[in-house]
Amino acid sequence: MTLSISEIILITVILLLGIGFYGLLAVRNLIKVIVSLQIMVKGMMLGFVLAGRLAGNVSLGQSLAILVIVVDTIVAIIGLALAVQIRRYAGSLDVKALTTLKR
Amino acid sequence: MNANTALIWLIAIPLAAAPIIYLAGRLSVRASTNGRSAVSAWLATLTLLSTGYPLYFVGKAVLAGSPVKLAVQAVQLRMDGIGLLLALVVLLLGLLVVLFSTAYMSGNEGEEKYYALLIAMIGSIIGLGCAADLFNLWVWFEAMAITSYMLVAFYITQPASLEAGFKYLVQSAAGSVFVLLGIVLVFSQTGTLDLLEIRNAVQSPNPLLLAAGAAFLIGFGVKSALAPMHTWLPDAHSQAPSGISAMLSGIVIEAGLVAMLRALGSISGASSSWGGLLLGFGAVNMLVGNLMALRQTQVKRLLAYSSISHMGYILLGLGIAIAFNIANGAAGAFFHLFTHALMKGLAFLAAGALLYTLHIARDDHGPLMLDDLNGASKRYPLAAFTLSIAVLALGGLPPLAGFMSKWQIFVAGAQTQNTWVIVLVIFAALNSVLSLGYYAPLVSRMYRKTPSPIVESGEPAPQTIVFPLLLLALGVVLLGFAPAWMNWLTGPAASSLLAAFGG
Repeated sequence: MTLSISEIILITVILLLGIGFYGLLAVRNLIKVIVSLQIMVKGMMLGFVLAGRLAGNVSLGQSLAILVIVVDTIVAIIGLALAVQIRRYAGSLDVKALTTLKR
Repeated sequence: MNANTALIWLIAIPLAAAPIIYLAGRLSVRASTNGRSAVSAWLATLTLLSTGYPLYFVGKAVLAGSPVKLAVQAVQLRMDGIGLLLALVVLLLGLLVVLFSTAYMSGNEGEEKYYALLIAMIGSIIGLGCAADLFNLWVWFEAMAITSYMLVAFYITQPASLEAGFKYLVQSAAGSVFVLLGIVLVFSQTGTLDLLEIRNAVQSPNPLLLAAGAAFLIGFGVKSALAPMHTWLPDAHSQAPSGISAMLSGIVIEAGLVAMLRALGSISGASSSWGGLLLGFGAVNMLVGNLMALRQTQVKRLLAYSSISHMGYILLGLGIAIAFNIANGAAGAFFHLFTHALMKGLAFLAAGALLYTLHIARDDHGPLMLDDLNGASKRYPLAAFTLSIAVLALGGLPPLAGFMSKWQIFVAGAQTQNTWVIVLVIFAALNSVLSLGYYAPLVSRMYRKTPSPIVESGEPAPQTIVFPLLLLALGVVLLGFAPAWMNWLTGPAASSLLAAFGG
């Protein structure tokens, strides 16, 4: 069985989304939570390239992917900065330590 | 001024002013001897007032029915009734929040960042209101989200506010992945990103476009706190500085809803059930918000859960409008959006005034508990009075503004002549009664209980904190007596919504 390029990309996108979402639910370290989010967004970047290919507008799809990279980097930086502050003032990077607001 | 030029200024002024406010504030803090400076607050006020000037020309053109748009290459910005409503509400509420914050945030570390981020958030909400391109919509939405993450976690040495900020960031970022998924699906099917072109291209049901609609519902639903995705909201609203709680509750979650309506409107050809889905989410939101609010012991968490239930009323009105093509429902929903911004803004600011005098002025970052309010009217008559007006209006007591907007939604529901919608309207009215179960004890606490020790020993509230409260309370009372005053704004917004959904 041979797969076309589009199908290979599609499978990769779905795998990345699935791995990222599983990580978001299962992982307990705050840094790894951000990494899981990043994996999901990486899947979507590939998704934009694929969508551009399917829609016959490759350049638009790729330029959108670059814009996603820019926006997503800012989100990741803020998330990591918050994780650093949490480590400093709450003393732990474990998600289970962040339950003071749960009631 | 030409309306198209005015649109450029409307977006450019706040976005360009944000870094200037930061720099000027930072330099003046360094130059001052005691580490305090009001420069950033005054610059923020000036920015918002000067943004009102182009808004006047844009508003005049939109209300006259002429198209106001701005094209940057293929990306279009188009202003319509909904965008005008959003811009007006955000500027009005933003101005009052800045006035309130001059005393509330004074002397905080990083005060200049607070104003710079607040102005950037206001600018991105105005931009979101006039985005006419699916990807552009997402970019404005993310700009708004990024500024609000930093504002929620503003007290960066308090573990509780860091926790709320991180929770908000992770949930919201996961939501925005779903939005991207929706955009990818729509883009791959239609090959265009312009909302109007997508709507013309989508005429028949298509499973991939239905999946895209579901992704939009989930993604934007996280931001607008649709019921199962609401868990970040009470934490973020209660831990943010009070001015930001007012902005989040009064306009940011509604901006998420507007973004969702724009995205769903573009693929309305794929299915006719979006209105019904909004009705369902509305019913769940009302019930969840009210039931959770009943068991809260902190004032700001209680108000946060009441925001969830008020999103339910807005969704009810929008669902009626979209499912049955009744403009009155959308007008009621947009009127409720406006009055909710006033009422909930007032409630959070009044609670913030009490929080400031009872806790923050004493360097205590603890929450404002319900018990702290006991007898507050004796020492803080104005703050207690405005908070009472706000919660009674939220509960829907006539003749305050909240009653009028809910009434308009209920009347629109009765117009549908549909049994299920009328059952839903009765359910909403009963929920309104249920909500008095937590609003009324709040008022009774402030006026009938003997003052708690913390109130007895409190300092009087600063004048600059009380002044915006009085303005908002005046607005809530006046709109209750003359709800028709807002028809010029809600009517065009309702017709824009129905036009977007092809009605």
